Amino acid sequence: MTTTDQITTAPSRAATPALSVRGLTKRYGQRTAVDHLDIEVPTGVVAGFVGPNGAGKTTTMAMLLGLVRPTDGSGTVLGEPIDHPDAYLHRVGALIESPAFYPALTGAENLRMFATVGGHPTEQIPALLAQVGLGDRGDDRYRSYSLGMKQRLGIAAALLGDPELLILDEPANGLDPQGVREMRSLIGDLAHGGRTVLVSSHDLSELEQVCDWLVLIDTGRSLYQGLTSELLGGVASGLAVVPERPADRWRLRELLFAAGHHVDERDDRLVVSLDATGGAAGRVDTGEIGTGGIGTGGIGAAEIAAAVNRIAFAAGIVLVELSPLRTTLEDRYLAMVQGGRR
Amino acid sequence: MRRVVRAELLRLLRRRTIVTTTIAALVFSAVATLTIVTSAKDGPSIPGRRDGTTVAELASHGGGTQSFAVGVSFVSFFVFVVFIALMATEFSGGTFRALLLRDPHRMRLIVGKLAASLLVAAGALALAELFSFVLSLALAPSKDISGSAWFSMAGLGDGLRDYGTALAGIAGWAVFGATLAVVFRSAPLALAVGFAWAGPIENIVSQSWAPGLRFFPGQVLGSLIRGGSADLGLGRAAVTSAVYVAIAATAALVLLTRRDVTS
Repeated sequence: MTTTDQITTAPSRAATPALSVRGLTKRYGQRTAVDHLDIEVPTGVVAGFVGPNGAGKTTTMAMLLGLVRPTDGSGTVLGEPIDHPDAYLHRVGALIESPAFYPALTGAENLRMFATVGGHPTEQIPALLAQVGLGDRGDDRYRSYSLGMKQRLGIAAALLGDPELLILDEPANGLDPQGVREMRSLIGDLAHGGRTVLVSSHDLSELEQVCDWLVLIDTGRSLYQGLTSELLGGVASGLAVVPERPADRWRLRELLFAAGHHVDERDDRLVVSLDATGGAAGRVDTGEIGTGGIGTGGIGAAEIAAAVNRIAFAAGIVLVELSPLRTTLEDRYLAMVQGGRR
Repeated sequence: MRRVVRAELLRLLRRRTIVTTTIAALVFSAVATLTIVTSAKDGPSIPGRRDGTTVAELASHGGGTQSFAVGVSFVSFFVFVVFIALMATEFSGGTFRALLLRDPHRMRLIVGKLAASLLVAAGALALAELFSFVLSLALAPSKDISGSAWFSMAGLGDGLRDYGTALAGIAGWAVFGATLAVVFRSAPLALAVGFAWAGPIENIVSQSWAPGLRFFPGQVLGSLIRGGSADLGLGRAAVTSAVYVAIAATAALVLLTRRDVTS
């Protein structure tokens, strides 16, 4: 259940994907950084490229950008083969690894230099600096910039030439919470007019908020690719249960446990676990006290909620909350990674 | 290529860089000329040698730019170090990687950067030679040198030759420096190797093994810049230098185009 073949939502927004790779592999001696990776990112999406440190995100992006030669595999970027990056790089903007500029030059001078190399118009530089929030610091030397300003200048450089595809590698890396929020907002703004954005991160909560397409990888292999909403939508990781009287919490927990539920306490709530498909984890019960379990799986969250409610009602416990806990990207990702490594 | 050269010139031809380079060229020129002219001794010129130690050499038609030629041979090692640092920091600082995202032709990028740097070096050398000539003219009476021969056609030819060999020598050092930068991709490591080789190793070995003066790359380039030496004539120095530069450039370009860019 954790391979791309099994979990793939077919791209539907455009016939030609913004990028597509098949069997992409990169080996460094005995170590395989990217292992037969298949990815397809439709045109016009903000795609999150998710994986833990060392999962192969940066290496994959470097191969897409012509910096690293694949050991095996093929693919296209904006319809052009990845072994001819000169055919598509002028339509791609990228920030990979950390931003790299000349410290002695100002932000604007750096952009002018990069625009000249790329053959892009330099007239757009003031507007780009303003777009990334550096309108009043463009004439300051790069060496005087904070980390957040450096990252934003990196985004501005990636935007030179109004690219159709943006590839951003950990753009929020090292930023404070305010900076992360600003970067998220900026990335959201960049996806307009059919532009595709591929953004990598290991900060799953950030990607969850900004991305409508996700590519999940681990140890160089893909775990999932598809719509964010399809990965997360309609699936609950547990049921939050709160009795009216706090004193009943322990008794209700025992009753639920006796009925075969896995119950945790989080903050002031009891949480009845559901498995990844929204059913109860472990042995589940129909709700009739004393009748024993009916086996595992196949029971939906609504039915579990009803069973929990019946148990509480039968014990004279009034519930003030009985609600599904929404699965986070982190929950789903960790479940997939752990499943994939078993 | 033109875009890369233009971009690099944008970087190099900023006011601060121009002022710094101009001052460096003038100071170098002044120090070299003052030292060589004021220390010149009476006596005949030594055939095959052009180190400017005699008044007779300075009084000949090539004497007006001789201080420049000798001075460049002494600072060429500094140029070598500068080129190593300039190029290696492009790799270690990630700017080469960032530029590749704008222009994926690696060879074009490195050659364009080198060409732009050499254009600036050519300007600085011209300024240094001109200033050295003027200063030599001013100092000539103190050594009873008339300097009239310097304005002859032969003097002009020598001046052009001195400029050409200096520029060729600097270009050779630049290619060697860039090659070390490409090989090691780390400024400290490339500098350490460059220092060790062109500094102590070549010079110490050459002291005890005379053919080293004719074969070691640094010694050969030194002879080229000086317009030939007692050990190596100008023609042979030029040909040998060209061979070394071609080998170094080929190695650098092969490495550059085949290796992954990971930093």
